[in-house]
Amino acid sequence: MTKTVSDQDYRLFVNTVKRVSEYDLSDYSDKSLKRRIAKVLSDNKTDIHKLISDINSNTDYLEKIIRGVTVNTTELFRDPKAWHDIRYKVLPELASLPTINIWHAGCSTGQEVYSMLILLNETGLLDKARVLATDINSNVLETAGSGIYKYRFNRGYLDNFDRVIRRNPLNYEEFRDVPYSKYFTIDKDSDTLTIKPFLLEKPVYKKHDLVSCNNFIPGKFDLIICRNVIIYFNYSLQNRIFNFFYQNLHPGGSLVLGMHESISGPMSERFIKSGHAYSKPVKYFGKMI
Amino acid sequence: MYKAIIIGGSAGSFQVVTRILSSLHKDFPLPVLLSLHRLKHIRSGFVEALSLKSSIPVKEPGDKDHIRPGIAYLAPSNYHMLIELGSRFALSTAAPVNHSRPSIDLSFFSAAQAYREKLIGIILSGANRDGAQGLERVASLGGKTIVQDPDECQVPVMPKESLKLTGVDHILNSSQIIEFLKKINRNALD
Repeated sequence: MTKTVSDQDYRLFVNTVKRVSEYDLSDYSDKSLKRRIAKVLSDNKTDIHKLISDINSNTDYLEKIIRGVTVNTTELFRDPKAWHDIRYKVLPELASLPTINIWHAGCSTGQEVYSMLILLNETGLLDKARVLATDINSNVLETAGSGIYKYRFNRGYLDNFDRVIRRNPLNYEEFRDVPYSKYFTIDKDSDTLTIKPFLLEKPVYKKHDLVSCNNFIPGKFDLIICRNVIIYFNYSLQNRIFNFFYQNLHPGGSLVLGMHESISGPMSERFIKSGHAYSKPVKYFGKMI
Repeated sequence: MYKAIIIGGSAGSFQVVTRILSSLHKDFPLPVLLSLHRLKHIRSGFVEALSLKSSIPVKEPGDKDHIRPGIAYLAPSNYHMLIELGSRFALSTAAPVNHSRPSIDLSFFSAAQAYREKLIGIILSGANRDGAQGLERVASLGGKTIVQDPDECQVPVMPKESLKLTGVDHILNSSQIIEFLKKINRNALD
């Protein structure tokens, strides 16, 4: 088991990162981050003091460490119940729009981006969709853009594809015979699962640090997907980010969080909750903050 | 006085957890944190199954939820469940540890750090070594440690691995674990 990082060293690390870069880790959830730092120390065979001195002087190394301390696990159609909500509650609300602007915030290696594109295609909305996907980690964005995944690792998640795309939770008798080959090229010999080109060309990937709350593009979104990202942030940062999302949503637009994430702070009254989605009211009658 | 109980279990622990939860007083004064392995494909229905017999509410915590006494919190399937200072949960989708998510070790580490000597850590039946290091951390930070008697366990590997690493405070069968927890209730009410 990796060594633990003391509170003092933890703060020293966070302060150094803040001083020498644009990254601010001070409002990350400390339990997860501490453990990730310990793992980075063991993976890089270094100690905290050498790490701190090295990130002071070497920008590339700092980027590598930031990539190491941020979590980038993701799955195709993770939590099918949440995708049922997207399919049957969220998308129908957006279907009549001329274009549907979607932002995947913290997209990691892109499995949820392609899950969403598959769902859009199955519901006839793909042509209307404009998709932006961002992450703090430029390496995962490269993987996302390539759309090439390890087949063996992702094979288990094809069950989720079945539950969201082939089955209908409202009618268990229904079975849509959608073959995997419609969306994936699976090559067991090379252990790859590759996303089909017509989906690959759709999303625009861009590096963006959500924590900065920097407005990075003009225009707003009809749908923001940010799942299992804010769990790594503390309560106050979560609320800042909910506000940032609110500002970047069109009225009537929706925010979808992870299965066990919710808006419980001061921003909760600004959104209307429906299942796993939060929508921004078309008109807000409360007092303006 | 204790502030929390954390229980780790895997194969063969479900019935023991059910027995424990059903025998607690409905005003049990501590939160009960449950870090239990479950089959990946049986993701829902576990809370409901535990709730059926439990005398205190059972729920899966949301991220950053406050930890309240008298509630049993079950680590959500496919997430690590961590305890933050300030008595809130933090969930994580970081990679499985020892093939486990939730990882009992991770839950125990963070609970040990948050509650230190005010924590009771209990390791029940299970088929792997997850939890052994976690229980060791509970002990080293001054908490009380209990393992289910391996002779009673359906699968004794997990308690045995814990016993290798930690000179635990008590080796108890499930009835004795229940007695131990009931005493906490009496002490708190006195």
